[in-house]
Amino acid sequence: MKVELRHLSARIHRAPLLEDISVRIDRGELFGLVGPNGSGKSTLMRCLAGLQRPTSGGILVDDADLARMPARHRARRIAFVQQQADTTDRLTVRQAVDLGRIPYLSALRGWGRSDETAVEAALTAVEMTAFAGRLWHTLSGGERQRVHIARALAQDPRLLLLDEPTNHLDIRHQLSLMALVRALPITRVIALHDLNQATACDRIGVLSGGRLVATGLPRDVLNEDLLAEVFGVAATRHAAPDGSPRLHFSHAL
Amino acid sequence: MTMEAAPVRAVTWRGLWLAPVVLGMTILAGTAIGETRLPFVTVLRTLANHLWGAGYPVDGIEAGIIWSYRLPRALVAACCGAGLALTGVVLQALLRNPLADPYLMGLSAGASTGAVLVTVAGLGGGAISMSLGALTGALLAFGCVAVLARAVSGDVGGGRATQAAAALILAGIAGSQLFNALTAFIIARSANAEQARGIMFWLMGNLSGIRWDDVGACMAVSVAGVALCLWHRRGLDAFTFGADGAASLGINVPALRGSLIAATAVMVGVLVSKVGAIGFVGLVVPHAMRFLVGARHDRLVPASALAGAVFLVAADVISRSLVPGQVLPIGVVTALVGAPAFALILVHGARK
Repeated sequence: MKVELRHLSARIHRAPLLEDISVRIDRGELFGLVGPNGSGKSTLMRCLAGLQRPTSGGILVDDADLARMPARHRARRIAFVQQQADTTDRLTVRQAVDLGRIPYLSALRGWGRSDETAVEAALTAVEMTAFAGRLWHTLSGGERQRVHIARALAQDPRLLLLDEPTNHLDIRHQLSLMALVRALPITRVIALHDLNQATACDRIGVLSGGRLVATGLPRDVLNEDLLAEVFGVAATRHAAPDGSPRLHFSHAL
Repeated sequence: MTMEAAPVRAVTWRGLWLAPVVLGMTILAGTAIGETRLPFVTVLRTLANHLWGAGYPVDGIEAGIIWSYRLPRALVAACCGAGLALTGVVLQALLRNPLADPYLMGLSAGASTGAVLVTVAGLGGGAISMSLGALTGALLAFGCVAVLARAVSGDVGGGRATQAAAALILAGIAGSQLFNALTAFIIARSANAEQARGIMFWLMGNLSGIRWDDVGACMAVSVAGVALCLWHRRGLDAFTFGADGAASLGINVPALRGSLIAATAVMVGVLVSKVGAIGFVGLVVPHAMRFLVGARHDRLVPASALAGAVFLVAADVISRSLVPGQVLPIGVVTALVGAPAFALILVHGARK
């Protein structure tokens, strides 16, 4: 799905959170959003997910205005993996993934074969089929995040939004989750804290104080000057054995 | 690996046919058991006489007790149990708070203020019945709580929906305290000892005054409540991972939450105005049913309504027969059973 942000601004209680953001995200692209705490990453993700209305400007998804799209239609196109989403309900992995079909069901239209197929495919995509019968509260953090992604994939979306999905995960789960997200064939927007993980994105955008200060290829954008100015850190950049850029952070400025 | 067509998982409605049977048996039992125990045959014959004029010979006094007192009482108890349990299900799902219960929103506090205003302070000069006063009070209190909650959370366009849930709970506590204080003030100022005792009894839940006139309204609101919750069962499921999770699944969160909470408030308002505040049903029954049938609302809604109905009819029977020659307030019985049951659920949940 092609996504276009046009002069997007958002505020809560008159406090400006996003100011005049314009960017285009191409079909099938993995677009990373980075920025320090409070720079507006989560607000931008919420705007993209349709959970928050921009105060001015707009978002076009495949040339349709997101703000005018009915919620159910939106949920069939756009899926959102929240930063933290937990439940105290006793439900199985499969039941959690089933929730992703809610945009397709109604009070009268019951569970059908297409729903079953979508859930199976989603479980397979995140390699959690063997866990389908496990109860939610017995899962580890990494497994829960995979289930959230499966639930999002069960929505059969054309745009997948992930808000810092690797938070609180150990390094192995971080890497396997990023590999999973990279391999998905749909348009993805992912907010990330770890700048070295962001280098795996096709393109990234850097948010600072609610403004989009840079967009482009990770190796072009993440340079020493920007890291000092936006993130306030001294960093050096070198090439990893595979040629991709790696950042080494020495101290806070 | 061979790909097999995934079998469609049908909702398991196994045992659903049992529901009306269980409910019918409970109501029959509630009608038969009491201070004077009446044989089931008499109960069935009386029902047959009234429902389709079967013409069985039955004792006039017994028939009167069954048809005019016990049956409407059992029916209203069942409606209240179902309604209260359902409200607990809805609030716990929508507010994502396991302690949410029907009285959270100031309903019982408002109802009692309305009731004492009519009975003790003499508002309306006898033109207003106590239950109308209670209903008005309950809805007024809910209105106050809802307005306060909105003021606290602020009108952020579709914004922080989780905050709104916390705001409603806090506003409910504040509203309940205010209306309870008003009730206490009115009683302390103008009630005599007899009135105070009567009000106390009513506040703990009282089915003694129930007649056929009351059955219609109770049944209408509880049946409508069950239907509304079943209609929105998937919307309720969508809140599993919070309000934002529901919104990203295409649920219009403010609309669904507003309409369901307002609808259940009206339902509880009507029920409370007839029978007073009966505690613990709305809190305990949904939790117990989650253990038995799971958290999915296609099963939780009917199961909770049924269990609530059975529980309250049973509690009414116990309240009439526990102390010979005296009727206990039904709220005492539900709390005596409900409080330990709730503690058990909490301990059991903590072990998991």
